[in-house]
Amino acid sequence: MPDNAVLPVNGKPIQPLGVGFPYFAALPADLYRSDLVAFAEITPETLCRQRATGTTTQIEIIPDRLATAKDTCAGLPVVIHGVELSIGSAHGLNDGYLRMLDSFQKEWPFVWHSEHLGFQTIAGDDDSTLEIGVPLPMPATLEAVELVATRSTTIQQRYSVPFLLENPAHYFSALPTDPEIGNEYGFLGAFTQKSGCYLLLDLHNLYCNAINHHFDAREVIATLPLERVIEIHVAGGSWRDGFWMDAHDGRVPEPVWELLDYVLPLAPNVAGVVFELLEDYAVRLGAPAIRDELKRAWHIWNLRHGAN
Amino acid sequence: MALIDFQTALGRMLREQNRDDYLRGISLDEDESRYFENLRDTAEFRFYASVQRSWCIARATKAAHLTLSLLPPEERERLLDQWVDSGSGAQSFFFVEADSFLDFIGNYLADRPREFEVCQFERATLRAGNGANVFVPPDLEGLQRPDCYLRRGSYAAVVRLEELFSAGLIVMFSPGLPQLWHEPPTEELDLWEALESPTPVSTLLNRGHSLETLERLLAHGALEYAE
Repeated sequence: MPDNAVLPVNGKPIQPLGVGFPYFAALPADLYRSDLVAFAEITPETLCRQRATGTTTQIEIIPDRLATAKDTCAGLPVVIHGVELSIGSAHGLNDGYLRMLDSFQKEWPFVWHSEHLGFQTIAGDDDSTLEIGVPLPMPATLEAVELVATRSTTIQQRYSVPFLLENPAHYFSALPTDPEIGNEYGFLGAFTQKSGCYLLLDLHNLYCNAINHHFDAREVIATLPLERVIEIHVAGGSWRDGFWMDAHDGRVPEPVWELLDYVLPLAPNVAGVVFELLEDYAVRLGAPAIRDELKRAWHIWNLRHGAN
Repeated sequence: MALIDFQTALGRMLREQNRDDYLRGISLDEDESRYFENLRDTAEFRFYASVQRSWCIARATKAAHLTLSLLPPEERERLLDQWVDSGSGAQSFFFVEADSFLDFIGNYLADRPREFEVCQFERATLRAGNGANVFVPPDLEGLQRPDCYLRRGSYAAVVRLEELFSAGLIVMFSPGLPQLWHEPPTEELDLWEALESPTPVSTLLNRGHSLETLERLLAHGALEYAE
């Protein structure tokens, strides 16, 4: 076992995978069969549809989409990156998502499972679940940490694979805070300690927040529990109305590559780096440019892990 | 401030951008209430509000691309604004959002036959396409059960394009058809019309509908068993 393999849950070590890429049905399959992609990051909701049944909502896997994704990824290890869980919603998380993921895991086992730290639903006046339409950040409070940590521990046990939470990009500079937690990055430390779960460090989200909230990303990195980071995201963004937006709409900015170069040697248990894009932009950017970004990620990865 | 109060207030402020009663039913002290009042005046909240609104509009636009393209820009904008102002547009799953929005536009266009037909056409295509993702042809043996009822398929529709085509065109959509649609022969159309509500198979046969037509429509999802 390599020195940097960790023992996260059920005594199963995670071996470093390398550089991964999100699965998009619209991209050529040969991208996923090249040496540039060591694992695929799947957002299972993109292979699903939602159906109301009585008072509940079901998320159902679409068999043909799943079969195409498995065929395209042709034996690659896969990791899950969900968007619909709304793990931080105080009125309740999305149970339908977890039920879908139960089925998904039987069909296509995954190495780890990540979600976004935040909330995107609230309770309606009649107690129904309302989607807000954008993901929102959690306040850095004891109550919020307790809620998210307890749910995360349960989820990690449910799937017997590491559960990772991703630090979000957000645009609020003054969220409610308890002194015991300090700030949103203190939240991440308290969360890992309390839950026994892990982190997906999104360097573009950190970069966004550093620009929009005027702080030094490296100073924040020094405060994070880097030994709990299993996955790293890099991505691109763009300016909108005076804010640098986490738009996943293009190539990775140079300062984000520099952050990857900086953080990889400090985070001993990172098992994968993913270049994140939205599907529409992935198609527009095109396979040659995506390959360039993946090569850049591999170059930085290999500086730390050695070429395969 | 309790987490649920924080989230409810913030979520409402974004979902209900034209309402001022976002703190209804929430017990906050003076400082906490002021926090939200101040937040609403910030550039960062306005940014969030604009992103939320543009994402909701983008979801709806994608859902009804064909129908919206027939409308003048100012009318299209007004309809989208009405939709988002009602708190809609936030659903992340495409079909749920699209079907609701096309229903909304369909009601609005009820007295404009050409646009209404296009809207019905777009909605039927969407429904049949969504159904095709999960459609499994049913076991036709069920038709032999004495208590068997049939109804129109959940993902099926018949759309009459009489304003768009001078000769008139009737199209049946169903999830099991190879291209999701065909022009139904008279016997299929008659059977469809006869099924405004769930009906026993025995009644349909007594009324002269053939078992072969029942089987054919059931096999491609234009009809389904009514349990």
